[in-house]
Formats: sequence, structure tokens, C-alpha cells
Amino acid sequence: MRPQRATSTFTRTPYLLVAPLTVVLMVFFGIPLALVVVVSFFDLDKFDIIPTFVLTNYSELFGSSLTYTLYAKTITYALIVWAITLVIGFTVSYFLVFHVRSVLWQMALFLLCTVPFWTSNVIRMISWIPFLGRHGLFNQSLIALGVTDHPLEFLLFSNFSVVIAYVHLFSLFMIVPIFNSMARIDRAVIEAAVDGGASRARVITDIVIPLSKTGIALGSIFVIALVMGDFFVVKVMSGGQSSSVVAAMSNEIAILQYPPAAANAVCLLIIVMLMVAAIIRLVDVRRELSGERQA
Amino acid sequence: MAHSGHIELRSVTKRFDQTLAVDDISLTIPHGSYCCLLGPSGCGKTTILRMIAGHEAPTAGDIRIGGESVIGLPPVRRGTAMMFQNYALFPHLTVLDNVAFNLKARGVGKAERHQRAREVLAQVQLDQFAERMPAQLSGGQQQRVALSRALITKPRVLLLDEPLSALDEFLRLQMRGELRRIQRELGITFVHVTHTQLEAIAVADVVVVMEEGRIEQAASAHEIYTLPATAYVARFMGGQNVLAGTVIALNDGAATLVDGTGARFAAPATSTAPAKGQEIACCIRRDRIKVEKLRGPLSSLAEATNVLAGTVHAIEYQGSYVKVTIDVPGREQFVGNLPDHAFLTAPLDIGDAVVARWATEDVHLLTGDSTKTTTGVRLPLEAQKDGVSQHLI
Amino acid sequence: MTARSSNGRPWTFYALAAFFTLFVLFLYGPMSAIFILSFQGPTGGLTFPMNGVSLHWFKALVVQQRSGDFVGSFSRSIVLAIIVLAITVVVSIMAGLAFRYRFRGATAVFYMAIASLIMPGLLLGLGVGLMFQFAHVSPAWFSSALGAQLTWTLPFGLLIMFAVFSRFNRAYEEAARDLGASPWQTLWLVVLPILLPGIIGVALFGFTLSYDEFPRTLIPIGSRNTLPLEIWAMTTDVTSPALYALGTLTTAVSFVVIAVALTSIAVIQRRRARRQRRAREA
Repeated sequence: MRPQRATSTFTRTPYLLVAPLTVVLMVFFGIPLALVVVVSFFDLDKFDIIPTFVLTNYSELFGSSLTYTLYAKTITYALIVWAITLVIGFTVSYFLVFHVRSVLWQMALFLLCTVPFWTSNVIRMISWIPFLGRHGLFNQSLIALGVTDHPLEFLLFSNFSVVIAYVHLFSLFMIVPIFNSMARIDRAVIEAAVDGGASRARVITDIVIPLSKTGIALGSIFVIALVMGDFFVVKVMSGGQSSSVVAAMSNEIAILQYPPAAANAVCLLIIVMLMVAAIIRLVDVRRELSGERQA
Repeated sequence: MAHSGHIELRSVTKRFDQTLAVDDISLTIPHGSYCCLLGPSGCGKTTILRMIAGHEAPTAGDIRIGGESVIGLPPVRRGTAMMFQNYALFPHLTVLDNVAFNLKARGVGKAERHQRAREVLAQVQLDQFAERMPAQLSGGQQQRVALSRALITKPRVLLLDEPLSALDEFLRLQMRGELRRIQRELGITFVHVTHTQLEAIAVADVVVVMEEGRIEQAASAHEIYTLPATAYVARFMGGQNVLAGTVIALNDGAATLVDGTGARFAAPATSTAPAKGQEIACCIRRDRIKVEKLRGPLSSLAEATNVLAGTVHAIEYQGSYVKVTIDVPGREQFVGNLPDHAFLTAPLDIGDAVVARWATEDVHLLTGDSTKTTTGVRLPLEAQKDGVSQHLI
Repeated sequence: MTARSSNGRPWTFYALAAFFTLFVLFLYGPMSAIFILSFQGPTGGLTFPMNGVSLHWFKALVVQQRSGDFVGSFSRSIVLAIIVLAITVVVSIMAGLAFRYRFRGATAVFYMAIASLIMPGLLLGLGVGLMFQFAHVSPAWFSSALGAQLTWTLPFGLLIMFAVFSRFNRAYEEAARDLGASPWQTLWLVVLPILLPGIIGVALFGFTLSYDEFPRTLIPIGSRNTLPLEIWAMTTDVTSPALYALGTLTTAVSFVVIAVALTSIAVIQRRRARRQRRAREA
């Protein structure tokens, strides 16, 4: 057990060091969050907000069936996208870490995956439209290859295209943490398992997955938060047919209906926090990240 | 006294949360001596080293170097320098910049500090490696760089944290001599932490055997090996067998003990005469034991003193001697180191019934009154060699 | 052991490699559509089929009225990203150093950072906008939008620094201290140089996240847009293949930047190796 370092002269230092982060977060996250909560209790008169304390926004929110539909839809999207990105993230990371032999190739292939993310999300999302459209590249190639003779309609402006776009935009957020976790697994542990007769599947379930659980947890937190918070992908990729919680919120904001939007925001935030808390309960991210090595 | 590397630990204790790492230790290390802190993992030796260095602060007690208390002083102001286990060479700096680091921290100009670093590197024959990165050096070379880096600060005390454990056996033996030679040349105090017994007695003037935060014995290497104070030291050093019994007779300067199985042992009883009826332990050096095949019935040994009968459990060839481990019913295993020519004249096999005998004057009573502080008796090399070096590879 | 093919690779390698290739195609595929369409003829529309081939839409990017203020928003995005990069690197390093100690409130700050990360961007933007509104300060890209983006980049920077520091061997620091370096010298001469790859990672992340950032910036942006917002405005109002031309350009710029970065790393390494070889032969 490595003992703690001498602390004689450095007791004030951590507080000074963490101050900038704390201040920025309090000002640009803490206060805005508090304001949103406060405004959620304000009243609305046409387009003017009245600073009082009413519960009308919440009662309207919970009273409308649209709310539940939207939440159900958004949560469904989140879970589907999470599952797909998890499989992709795990498989790609596994390939890069365990099957690519040279570090140089590993880095090059990893970079290859990250380059698309340097282009704006909006453009990348838009790029699916000509690709999946009736006359788009994908349909054209399918027809040219003879797989089908009619263009596939469901490809665009449907749930399918929404999910595809989400996966396209957010898979990197799953790959990077998992890759990072996996790369830190001590190869000797795996070799010992193989030596002891474990099949490849067993090695994956018993060793690789448990040892990369921090990466999986982090990636899941990112993806779920991003999908739950999205408002433009769903609108554009569904051709306006579908909506999400935040998309509805953005509509309200556009017509200056801040209090109802704020109430919706608080509700969403609580739900997302619950989802994230569930993940953190399974994997103590803080302890793993702070590098306190367990035996 | 200001430049003296005389180290004094007075009632030093170190507690980490709930663990007591160092328990009220007092120790004196004379200036210019080579001191080894020896013990198993977790005994507190590294903690003591780090407290002398200034990387840990004691929970209680005082540490003095050169007569002045160094508590609260940062490492650089104590006149100490440390050589870290695994060396901790800065991976992003060249060998030259590594060695010159202390000078850079003190603001010495580039040309001057590079020149001085080169001089120090030349002393360990590494000057042509000056532009290399640490990762490109072998273990032994890295160690010499780490040593140079520490010595360029002209310390009065050099602290070495298991300096040889990262090296392979051959290099280890070579560097052992190097360290000893450098210490003699510089005339400064070396404090060397290790868990290898033979290493400690090979290099040190003073060996401090520790266990669980306490000093078991602090004395010269010869004393530790031949005259251990406690059963722990006797067992840990590895050259002894430990026997225990109750005193039944005291005559002619010898005490006779009987143990639970009825075996009788006799040991010279000197100034610290044990009382009759007292339970006491004694030890006998492995190389002072004669082992031969049992001839005649076991009963003939009934009243014999300093004799044990048993079965050969293992035989290990060690070059100049053969280590014979004997299973004796009712007690721990008994080991005899037979000179190789003796063994070859009368070889033994695993499973043979054997008898081990030894002389009374070779038995040493473990009175437990060890010198917990030491005056650092430095025996002349001749006396140290006696009976010790023949078992060193 | 599993059966291996002649060059020693198990069948799973090929399966996974195929999966990986498909994934890369998936990532780059749609961009190919944009790439092709950016050369759309002047009368062409947003989707296939192509109506001739031209550089018309690339030219349209520079002309401000119809397509949008790309040059302005692009430069604003770059400047903002650089500012965010600088602040993120400094604050993340400091916070990373702080979390190596045990101090009161550490867990609270950590979870606040995580909460800041997972909060839906639009909501956060709303809150920041409200804050500025209540304070009677006009929002602007270099103040309110900057702050909003920091709530996104700082938590990432913190997480990266966590990962980086957990791999850092404290013996280096102790050695530096032992050799007489002050805490500041230890940081500057030893810790930061060794952590440099991680710090560069934070810098790159900070830049990219800011440059690409959209939801948080949307509301508190003020009167002048960053590039993502300009693009968004385009998609909702006037959409034309100029958008695709922009996509092609930005991707090309990304490739160029990465190529430059990689070649400079390679050049530095080669130069270092040459220097050491020379020293060895000397």
C-alpha cells in the first residue's frame, strides 16, 4: 500500500487549484440551472413572464398526454441508440486493442474513426438525406447491385433514419472511453485466463467486460444524455413527423413561453439524472477514474 | 558538524491512518558509515528512509542529521539525496539533463551545469551516453545515471531505496561492490534499504534488522549473522537454526536446555546467565553442523546433548556447500550446510535417516537483549570475513 | 486454441476487421454524397440527380447575401474555439492537479462537472440566456456563448486529466523535489512535460468540441453566429448545395490539419532520432 505523500506545506493548494473550475461551473451551470428551476414556477401572460410562484406549468405538463408520448418516444430512442452504440463501441475498441498489433496502426485507425467528428454535426446529419433519399446514393447502389428494384422508402424520414443519424453522430462518444479502458487491461491477465483454458468468449465475459466497465459506463452516460437532450436530429431526420422532449421545448422557447419550457426542462433533467445515477450506481465512476488501484 | 552525515532517530513513530508503520524507533548511524535497513515488505524500512529524506514527516519523534533537527526541512535543505527504486529517471530529459537537474533547479547556467554533469557521468563511465534518453539505457546504466543524479548534489547522506532489486543477479553482485567502493571514496553516509540478507551483510558496516515497524537488532554484519539477538533475526538471516527449551542445569559456564520432545541442548552461558526453569531460545549456525547417516538404534541418542535425529527432506547443491534439510519429528525443519567435500565423501539421499551433531561452543543463546541503538562498531575487514564470506557467492 | 490461418490470425480477426471496415464506411459514406453533391451544377438541387458539374456553390460560399455569412462565422468559430481551448487546458490541468489531493467538496465538484456534461445543451443555453437577460447584459459569442461552451468542454477536460494523472508515476515528482526543485519547478520541468500527450489531447478535444458545438451555443449566442449556427440557419431557411460545398471544405480542412499534425510529429521524431544517432557516433 503506497502511503500518502507528505502534506505539510500544501494544504491550501487543492482549493486554489480547483477554484477556476468551480467558479466557471457555478456561474455558467449552477446559476443557469437555478434560474431554470425558478422560472419553471413563474406564470405566463401571453408572452410576458410574471415572477410569482405557481404550479400551473407543472400541472399542465403532467396533465398533457403529449408529454408522456414524447418522453416515451425520446427514452425509446435513447435506449435503442445506446444499445447499438454499445455494440459498435465495444466491437471497434476490442478490434483496435486486441487485434491490431502495431501501436502505429492502432493510432492511425483510431484517428480514421475520429476525423469525421471534426466536421459539424449539422452537416453530417444533413448528409444522410441525399444519401438515403429515394434517389440517394444508397438506393442507387442497391438498385445497381440488383438487391432491390424499388428504392427503399423507409430509409429516410422515418424512425430508422433518426436512429441511424444518432448512431452516426454519437458512436465516437462510446468508442473513446471504452477504447481507453480496454487499452489499460494488463495483457498478462488475459494470457493467464487463456492459459487456464478459458475460451475466447469466456475471456470476454469474465475479464474484458468487467475491466472495461468504467469506459462502458462513461460512454453510456454520454450517449444517453446526448440523445435525451437532442432537438434537431429528430426533427430533421424524421421529416417533421417525430419530435422529442427538447424539440417540443425549443418550440416553446421560440415563442417565448419560458415558464412551461422551464418546467419541462426540470422534468427532463430529473429523468436524465435518474438514468445516469442508475449507471453510476452500477459502476463507481469516480473511484475508478481517480486511479485508486484496487488489488 | 554541519557537514556531518551523522544521523540520529529519536523515538520516531509514523502512523498512516490506522496503520502503525514505524513504532517508536531510536537509531544512531555514524557519519561515513554504510548502514543497511533490512527486513521483509511492510516492516517500515522504506518509511524510515523516506522520513530521513523528508518525503514523509514523522508522526512523533525527532530526526537529526549532523546534530541538527531536520524535521520540517525539505529534502534539499537536509543535505540528503535519494536514489529511488526503479530510479525515477525523467523520461522526457536526456541523461545529461537528468543528471544536471539539481543544478538547473538551483539556477546554474546551461554551459556550466552541462559540463559538471559530464564530469560526474565520466566518473561512472557513462559520458558517451549523455545525449541518450533513459529508455534507451540498460538497467545497470540507468542505475548509474540515477546515482550520478543524486551525487551531483554533493549530499552528506545518500539514501538508496532497494537500489539493486531491479537488476538481474549478475549485475546485482557487480553493483554491490561498486556501491561499497563509491561510499568508501566519498566518505559520506549511505543508508541502503533492502530485503536481501546476503546483500546487506556484504555491503554494510551497520545492519538494522526490522520487523513490523520495530528494530529487532542493529549491529555490525558479523554480529547480526553470528550473534543474533532474537529468534526473528536468527531465522530471517537464514544462516541459523533456532531451538527452544527450558533451562534445567547451569554449570561450568554452560546452560543445558530440554525441550518438549526431550532433546537436550547445551549453550555457553556468559554474562547474561539465564535462570533455572526459564524458557529460552538458542541458535546454531547451519555451517557448524555435522550430518551423517544414522548408525545404530535411535535409543543410543537418548541422553546425548546437541544431537538431533531425523530424515533427509531435501538436498540443495550450492557450490561450495550442500544444504541439507532434515525433517525432525515434533519441531520445525532443521538445516545443515555441509562443505562440498564432506558431502561428497559421505553422500546422503532424500529419505535417509540421519543424525545432526554440533559443538556446545557454537550454540548462541537468544537472550533478546539486542542493541537497539548502535554505536556502529566497524570491525576490521578480516574479522568480518571470518566465517561469513565463505557462504557468499 | 482456436484454429489459425496461415499467417497466424484467428478467424475472429477477419470478422472484426470486416465489422470495422463497415463501420468506417458507415462513418464516411454519407459524406461521400455531400462531396459529390458539392460539385452540383448551378441549377441543381439538394438531392440527386446531379444537374451538371460546377464549382458554383463553392463560389457561393464567399458571397455573403444569399448563402449566409460563412467567412465571418467561420472566423468567429475559430477564435472562439481557440479561446475555449486555452481556458479548458489551463483550468483542466489545475483541476486535475487539485483532485490528486483529498479535499472537502471534491465529490461535489466532480458530480457538478458530470451534471454539467449531461445536462441537455439547449436547456443549459436557455439558463445562460435567462441569466444574461435577468442581469440586463446582452449575450455575445465571446461572453455568454463562451461560458456555455465551457460547461461542455471543461468536464471532458477534467475526465481526460483524471485518466492521464492516474497513469502518472508520483516517483518523478518526488525525485524532482528531492533534487531541490520548488513545487512550481516540479510542475513546469517535470510533471507537465511528461503529461504533454494528455494535455494535447485536452487541447484537441477542447478545440473540436467548441468548434462543433451547437445546442449550448444556440440561445446565448447574441447577434453574430458561429459556424454551426450559421449552418443551422441555412438548413431552416435557405438551403442550397452551398451547404454541401461547406461540408466538403470543412472536412478537407480537418484532413489537412491532421496531416500537418502527424507529419510534424513524424518530423520531430526523426529529428530527435537523428540527433541521438549523431551523439552516439560522436
